[in-house]
Order: sequence, then structure tokens, then C-alpha cells
Amino acid sequence: MALAGNPNAGKTTLFNTLTGARQHVGNYPGITVDYKEGNFTHNNQEITITDLPGTYSLTAYSVEEVVTRDYLVNEKPQVVINIVDASNLERNLYLTTQFLELGCPLIIALNMIDVAKDRGIEIRAEKLAELLGVPVVPVIARSGQGTETLISQAILQVTQEWQPRDISYGEDLDEAIMELIAIISENTFLAHTYPARFTAIKYLEHDDQILQKGQEDDSATAARLEKNVTQVSDHLLKTMDAYPEAIIADHRYGFIKSILRQGVQTHSFDTDRLYTSDKIDKVLTNRLMGPVFMLMILFGLYQFTFSWSEFPVSWLGLLFGWLGEHVETILPDGPVKSMIISGVINGMGGVLGFVPLIMFMFLGIAVLEDSGYLARVAFMMDRIFRIFGLHGSSVMPFIVSGGIAGGCAVPGVLATRTLRSPKERMATLLTVPFMNCGAKVPVIALLIGAFFSENKAMYMFLFTLISWAVALLAAKFLRATVLKGEATPFVMELPPYRFPTLRGLAIHTWERTWQYIKKAGTVILGISILLWALMTYPGLPAATKADYEQQRQAVTSSFAPEIIAESSSEKDVVSEEAQRLRQQVIALSNQESEQALRNSIAGRIGIALEPISRLAGFDWRTNIALVGGFAAKEVIISTLGTAYSMGDVKAEASDSLGKRLTRDPNWNKVVAVAALIFIMFYAPCFVTVVCIAKEAGHWGWALFSMSFNTFFAFLMATAVYQIGTWLG
Amino acid sequence: MSMTFKKLNHKCACLADKVKNCIKQSSCPGQITPLSESCRSGRVKICKITGDRKLCARMASLGVYAGEEAELLCPENGSQCLLKLQGATLSLDSTATRNIMVTEV
Repeated sequence: MALAGNPNAGKTTLFNTLTGARQHVGNYPGITVDYKEGNFTHNNQEITITDLPGTYSLTAYSVEEVVTRDYLVNEKPQVVINIVDASNLERNLYLTTQFLELGCPLIIALNMIDVAKDRGIEIRAEKLAELLGVPVVPVIARSGQGTETLISQAILQVTQEWQPRDISYGEDLDEAIMELIAIISENTFLAHTYPARFTAIKYLEHDDQILQKGQEDDSATAARLEKNVTQVSDHLLKTMDAYPEAIIADHRYGFIKSILRQGVQTHSFDTDRLYTSDKIDKVLTNRLMGPVFMLMILFGLYQFTFSWSEFPVSWLGLLFGWLGEHVETILPDGPVKSMIISGVINGMGGVLGFVPLIMFMFLGIAVLEDSGYLARVAFMMDRIFRIFGLHGSSVMPFIVSGGIAGGCAVPGVLATRTLRSPKERMATLLTVPFMNCGAKVPVIALLIGAFFSENKAMYMFLFTLISWAVALLAAKFLRATVLKGEATPFVMELPPYRFPTLRGLAIHTWERTWQYIKKAGTVILGISILLWALMTYPGLPAATKADYEQQRQAVTSSFAPEIIAESSSEKDVVSEEAQRLRQQVIALSNQESEQALRNSIAGRIGIALEPISRLAGFDWRTNIALVGGFAAKEVIISTLGTAYSMGDVKAEASDSLGKRLTRDPNWNKVVAVAALIFIMFYAPCFVTVVCIAKEAGHWGWALFSMSFNTFFAFLMATAVYQIGTWLG
Repeated sequence: MSMTFKKLNHKCACLADKVKNCIKQSSCPGQITPLSESCRSGRVKICKITGDRKLCARMASLGVYAGEEAELLCPENGSQCLLKLQGATLSLDSTATRNIMVTEV
């Protein structure tokens, strides 16, 4: 079975209700770009169901339409459940007419009948079924009402053959269609994929994908068809000033209207009335007040995130600190202990410690998305995006990538598939990694917390605005140089405002937070251990080690035996002399650790980069973390944690990374801002780079993204550091 | 079944007449302007979709076609509009609004 219908008609909600799955359902059109499969049992029968992307028609205009149509014609599902929004029946049936023309066994799920009823819309399902010749079952996908009947009826349709139905497009076009069908049938043109009449109509509609398939399949017949269609189009343009697709669409609506006017749909009250959702829109999308509300709402989100996550984040910090101390006491000295404390606990703990912050951020975003406000943000941002050569459809990839902070560039890059223009898509593809993804947020939060703790939410908001400004300026630069081209129109359906359900919010927040935790426990853990190894080996030569040991012994032997005994005891409070001995030994150990780190593979890389990185204020330890960030941005924080804790497992083991950085002479507010700027804008992580190469169809663009972003980020970081230092 | 469809199609409004009427302004008696220029709240009637044929087809699939009436929801929003029609709210950018010819109802 396949679930198909208009965007936001409730396909994924129904899919989740039927299969018990927790696929992402958003109050935003275009959430499902690819199809997803699930299974469920009905009356001891195992059923496989596919959730197809939302689409308005079966003409290849965007990727959703191509995916849906290709699935239907290639996979030939035994039955298609067409989810129709009962409160918007006429427009939804437009797609239904095309399913009928394609000939797939069809059943209509008349969804949101409760919403339609509230709006005074009465629909006679049995009359609609009679006139369309397909079963119609009223359902409420959110509550599951009517789904049992729907599946029972759908199973009955399984035995039906694929049978295309004809819709008349008026005498002129019907005649043209008949001529095209004759050519198609005579040459069995695309016969294995589409019904002849469907192909003829798509040729008239100038469907790019079918035209291309036709040329590849049988170029001679394709040329004949195209010639024929051009004549028809020219004739219609001359006589009616309209393209065939406009005429076809008009007849489809005529067909739908004629059905609805036969007592299928009645309105209890004025159809023109504005609903609450429309009234809210008049205020929230107002030209002047809309952006003000938007900034206030987004700032409120940051305030909420930081104020509510502050305590849980510090508790988790204490927990990992305690864990480090505990491991320190129970494990013997050696590489295993070092790996567990420096690689695992400090590395992974640095990432996991931010789970509460990430969770509150995701909760806030889920509220915005499920309520329908996120779609309004896209609407308002479209105006700004235009100025910078981007498209309205670019807004969602930006938000998915972390536009409100906390997303991921990989789905953001994939979301650019909804853009039709290759140049607008490429500009979006190359600039979405500038957003503050979930991996960058902990780094930004750490540095803000360490150096600008007085107003964390405001600084986080400011850095988010900077990321948008830089991304838009970079897009403008790309569109004015290597990606010059015309702008394409942006049309999007806005979903109505809805009260988010607690279940929906919990699912959305948890699924994203879980992804973050899972990544920290797998990929990030692996990279942290690898980087720990790179920062540990080859270690110091035996002679140097022996030299340090000698120095330690020399220091120790200069104290009285009772002071030595007191110093090595577990006591927290010791005499002044014993404390002095402890400090001298720790200083020697730290010196040894630093030399060992300098001598390690990672240390050598960091030191080699230092002459350049110093221009932006970064020392060799920071360089190690930044190089590690090429693998995954979360690694920056875990590597900083490891680099600033190597060997430092005694007196200051429980200190947070933030405290260690503020104490370090190489770090100050100016370096922190320069580092933030560099981290926000330098090369995307490895997975994103691979994704860019795959989506762009060329590794050149991926390499461009890496080099351009790193160069650009370094220039900005250097400017910030040099100007900041000069200003004092 | 096919008989039913034929009967239904006979009941459909004649498209050719509708399009011709729209062009002749008989169904759009008022002043016809692009939506981008009349973007203020109130009801409008769509008279014609111009421009790129792909845009025309896309608009049609979204329910924006000649003869339909719609409500503008975004007053003084310049070239960018929120258009409410057939129970749905559409966000349209300047390229789209420049190509939707409307008349006030």
C-alpha cells in the first residue's frame, strides 16, 4: 500500500498511527522528501505501507512529485490510499484526478473531518464515492478514528487491476490527445511505465521528466510527439492565450466542481470567513510587526533554553567531574587510565554535558514547528533571502541546518532538493553549513559561558544573527560570481496554526536529542579515542621521562621525610611545606604532560600550524581541536577537553573545560570571539562534505566548500583577533 | 463508469468560454492589475496567470487559476503576499505575484 496526498494532509500522521512508527511529522509542508516504508498487521495480515512525499500534482515540478510518481509507476503498489484534507476538498481532489488518470487502485481517506465540521463543511462521503467510483472513508488520522475501516476497505481494493480513467479536456484538447495516443500506442512508447493517455497528457503539460524519458526511450517517436504538441500549444496560445496545462488544469477543476456541486459538499456558514489562523497571520506576518515578533520569539527561545538548561548542564558537568575523580582513584596509572579519563570521560562528557541545553533548544523548535509558526518564519525570511539571491525554499534548509541553532547540516543539504533552480540550490547547498548546527552549539555555549557568562542568551542570539548575516552575504557573493542566474518564483502553502500536542512535542524533542546522544556515544566516542591516541603517542623518549623522574626525586628529596609522607597522603588539608611539595611535583608533571603532548602526532600538527594560526590568536592546542573538528564539530569540544586535561588528572581534574580555558594564558575574550567566528564558518564536517559532493554531483563543489569556508573563516577570525587586540 | 465521467464532464463549465471570457475581461469587469500591485487586504478575482508556463501549471495545482476568488491576508506587504483560497493559505513571492492578474471584487 502507498499513502499519497497533498503536503500537510496528514499522510505521515496516518502512517505513524497505522505502523506505530515515530516518523517526523511537522506542521510544515515538505517534511517528507523521500518515501518511507513501515509494516503493520491487520486481521492477521502483514501489510507493508509506504509514506510518499506530499505533492500537489503528478507533473514533475519538484523532487516530491518525481519521487511520488516514480514510486507509483515503478513499484506499482497494490492500492494507493489518497489522504485528502476534508477542510480543503476541492484543491486536494486535483491530485485525485491524476491518480484516476494514472489508473492505480485508489481509496480516499477523507482526513480532518473534525476540522471541516468546525468550519461548517459537511461532506457526504458515500455520494463522493459514488461519483468518483472509488471508496471514500472519513478518518481522523491524529486520533486513529476510522483507520480500521480504511484498511479493511483498502484490502478489498488490492484485487483491482490498474485501470486508467478518462477525464475530458474539451473538444480541442481531447482531439489532440487522441492523436497523441494513436502515435504512442502505435510505437508502444513508454508503454511499460505509463498508460498511453497519461503520457499524452504529460506531453501536453510539458512535463520535463517524461519528455526526457521519451527522448531516451525512442527519440523518433518523442520528436513526433513534441512536434505535435508544439502545434497544439501554438494554436492554443494564439486562440486562447493559454498553455495546454492551464486548460487541462481548468478542466480538472471543472470536473471536481461538478462533483462537489452534486450535493457532496455543503457549507453551513460563509465560506469566505476568516478563521483564527488567518487573523493571527494578519498580525504575525505583518510587514512591520512580523519581523519584530519573529525576533522577540526567537530571542525568547534562547532565553528559555539557557535559563532552563543552566542547572542540568552544571549537574552533568559535576557528574562527569566526579566520574573522572572516581576512575582516577580506582584505576592504576597507565595508558588505559589516561584513555578513560582524557579520551572517554573528558572527551565524551564534554559533548554529553550539553544534552539538557540541546534538549530545551529542540523543545522550543518543536513548539515553533508544530504550531505552524516556522512556516511563517520562512514566509517572512523569503523577502530577505531574495535580496541575497536565494529562494524562499532555501529557508527550510537553513533552519534544518541550525538556523535557530541546534540542527544538522546533513539533512539541511538534503532539504535543498526542493529547490528547482540548480544555481539557487547550489548557493543554498554551499551556505547552509554556516548555520549553527547542534554540534557547534555546545562549543559556542562553552565559550560564551566561559568568557561572556553575564548574558549568555543575548550572546548566543547575537552569534546566531552573525551566522545568518555571513551565510547570506556568502550567498550573495556566490550568486553574483560563480552562480549567476535568474531568480525562480517561490510559492508555499502555509499550514494553519495548531496547538502542539504533548505527545508530538515529546516525540520531536526526544528523536532529535536521541540522535545527538547516539552520535556522542558512537562516532564522537570513536573519534575522541582516536584523537586521544594521536595526542598520546609516540610519547616522550625514555631519556626525557627518566630526566623528569630524576627532577621529581630531586625536588622530593629536598624535603624532610615526614613532609614527603604528609604530601603523598590523601588528606585535603596539609601543612604549608607539604602543600609546596605537592605544587612543585604537580608543576613538573604538568610540564612533562605538555612536552608529551607537544611530542605527540597531534601536537606536532598543532605546532606546525601555529605560525599561521597565531595570526587569529590560536595556540597549538586549539589547533589540534580545530583539526579534529574536520571530522565532526562535536569533536572540537571533546578535543579541547582532552588537550586541556592531558596528564592534568590530579588537583584540577574536576574543573570544567570552561574554567581551564579562562585560566589559560593563551585564551581571553578576543581569542574566544575569534575562535567562535572560525568554528562557526570553517570547513563543514566530513559527513556534510560527502553529502555536498553527492548532492552537487561533483567533488569539486565539496572541495570548494571546504577551502572557501576555511579561508573565509580564517580571514574573519584574523580580522577579529587583530582588531580586537589592537583595540585592547 | 466511463459513462458517469462523460456525463460529469458535460456538466463541467466550458473551459474555452471561461478562458476567452477572462481574456475579454467579461468575467473581470474591473481594472486588471498584477497581484503585486494590488496587494492589500480584501477579496480579489483571479483573471489570468502569465509568465513561465511551469509557474502557470504550478499555480493551477495549488488552486490558483482564472475565475477563482481569493482573499488577500497581508495588507501593505509590498510584492509578497499571503493569499487565502479554497481553504488554504498560500505564500507567494514577488515573481509569482507579478504574474497573477487580478481584479477587485
